[in-house]
Amino acid sequence: MVIKYTLKTSISALQTHKSRSLLTILGIVIGVAAIMIIMSLGEGAQNLILGEIQSIGSRVVAIHPGRQPQGITDIISTFGDSLKEHDLNLLSRKENVPHSAEIIPIVFGTQAATYGNEIYRPIIFGGTPLMATIYNVYPSEGNLFTDDDVKSYANVVVIGAKVKTELFGNTDPINEKIKINGRNMRVIGVFAKKGQSSFINFDEAVFTPYTTAQSYIFGRKYFDRIVVQADTEANVSQTVADVQSTLRNSHNITDPTKDDFYVETQAQAMQMVGNITSVITLFLAAVAAVSLVVGGIGIMNIMLVSVTERTREIGLRKALGATNKNILSQFLIEAVILTALGGLIGVALGTGASFGASYLLTKFAGLAWLFSFPLNAALLGVGVSAAVGLIFGIYPAYQASRLNPTEALRYE
Amino acid sequence: MTPDPLIETKSLSKKYEEGETYTPALNDITFSIHNGEFVSIMGPSGSGKSTLLHILGFLDRQTGGTYKFDGRSLESYADEELAGVRNKKMGFVFQAFNLLPRSTVLENVRLPLLYSDIKESLWDEKAKEAIDAVGLTQRINHEAFKLSGGEKQRVAIARALVNDPQVIFADEPTGNLDSKSGQAVISILEKLNIEKKHTVILITHETETAEHAERIIRIVDGKVESDKPVERRRSGSEFYK
Repeated sequence: MVIKYTLKTSISALQTHKSRSLLTILGIVIGVAAIMIIMSLGEGAQNLILGEIQSIGSRVVAIHPGRQPQGITDIISTFGDSLKEHDLNLLSRKENVPHSAEIIPIVFGTQAATYGNEIYRPIIFGGTPLMATIYNVYPSEGNLFTDDDVKSYANVVVIGAKVKTELFGNTDPINEKIKINGRNMRVIGVFAKKGQSSFINFDEAVFTPYTTAQSYIFGRKYFDRIVVQADTEANVSQTVADVQSTLRNSHNITDPTKDDFYVETQAQAMQMVGNITSVITLFLAAVAAVSLVVGGIGIMNIMLVSVTERTREIGLRKALGATNKNILSQFLIEAVILTALGGLIGVALGTGASFGASYLLTKFAGLAWLFSFPLNAALLGVGVSAAVGLIFGIYPAYQASRLNPTEALRYE
Repeated sequence: MTPDPLIETKSLSKKYEEGETYTPALNDITFSIHNGEFVSIMGPSGSGKSTLLHILGFLDRQTGGTYKFDGRSLESYADEELAGVRNKKMGFVFQAFNLLPRSTVLENVRLPLLYSDIKESLWDEKAKEAIDAVGLTQRINHEAFKLSGGEKQRVAIARALVNDPQVIFADEPTGNLDSKSGQAVISILEKLNIEKKHTVILITHETETAEHAERIIRIVDGKVESDKPVERRRSGSEFYK
């Protein structure tokens, strides 16, 4: 039997019961649409986060104090104060880390900042002017502090946009003094408003030389991060190795498993974030896939009804020479067309919904969210729906093919 | 020497099993039908004539005796082969027409060709020929449910004809028709028998209809009561236009 006619027969059978066919595939439509939305939004979120990491720069090597956490209990036993001035000096030497282009020590924490009667608790970052380059934030008013400010423990700060509104309202903050930890700090700049688009919300931050932050604000002698920027991307792994050996020498560590610091590169961070978001996305998609199974049962149910309704037709076709195989394939194709159609509609709806969601996220949440069409999910969605039709269509089709023609012809 | 008969039954019987009791539907049926014959099988309802037609038409199997069609016995066919024989060598016309209501006349008549090994390019031509033979060319693109009863049955006959079968089985073809349409249907069968030499086996309980055939086999209670030629054969040609 020519496939074209089998298809035509199946399609016209489905057309006869348009609304029933549509209701039947609703489960499949919803299932596939849900998978599409989850995959699309998952991919979008992943791209957003990865984009953030990427914007930090691919040459960045971040040194964290303490052991790399291997589990929840490890966080307690880290050595938060392991990165000292001495380490910074060693890392700064060309003979120790030859491919280091820049080196920035960072200290951070929260402290109350006051201006007159206004009080706000910003995140305080102590660093060098280079930090602004690496995180791509620049003052829109005033200036950044200089390397001389760092050397001279200058009491100067650059504040985030939100810090400005909280403390100063509409007053011009430049050259005004705010009080942090009892010390007067002169505001020399205000960062441009960036929004919640990064790991660090610079709108809520206060920038100051690390020397000032260490001595006058936090009163500590260690660093929370040391960021080394390699001269080229190709030298990143060499730089990581150099940093590790320099610090192990400095801390008298011979066994790398006993490291009291860990080094993270952008590639590692991206991989980790990518893994986490993929796992979450897949988990959610698997939950959505359950509805495909439920939809498949619906298809089976309706196909059984259809077989009963068309008993006479089946008997007639057999009398006219249709073999069991002909009947089986006719009903199977019908089920597969139904579910594949459901899959296609689901893909279309899911794409539309995720496009709408990404539009809303961009427009109202101010995120740099890019719509992504998950081609894999679309192909998988249609493929899995067709497979659902095949699997759940087999039983009704088999029932149809086994009908005895004389019984079937007699059927009223 | 007469040629081998097309249809030959010997002591054919059929029993339906219901639990431990057997209900006999056919008992010791023996007759032969040759190529080109027009035979009526008559009997009251419940006499077993439909059961007999189902066996003759390879839609069912006997439980006893032998049945040879075109020289080969029914028992020697596997179930899957039966469909091929029905498709190529047999045509069926049913009391309830059994057309696909939403399909056109052409699509209905083409239906057996879908299951045949005839080339697809010839399908429409063959279907049109068969439709022409029953005089429905002007209705070729009408949907089946829009036709009158008589027209429906003529479409069914065209469908039975399309594969150029050796035998046409007609099971009470006039049962659902008024007498005028019924006559027209019988006339077509008659014409196919006389002009195209198709073997026709007509099942009916009406004597008038049965007498269009050249021979009547009467079945009563599952047995052959009589098997005689028709003395004064009726002709319906005056109804056929």
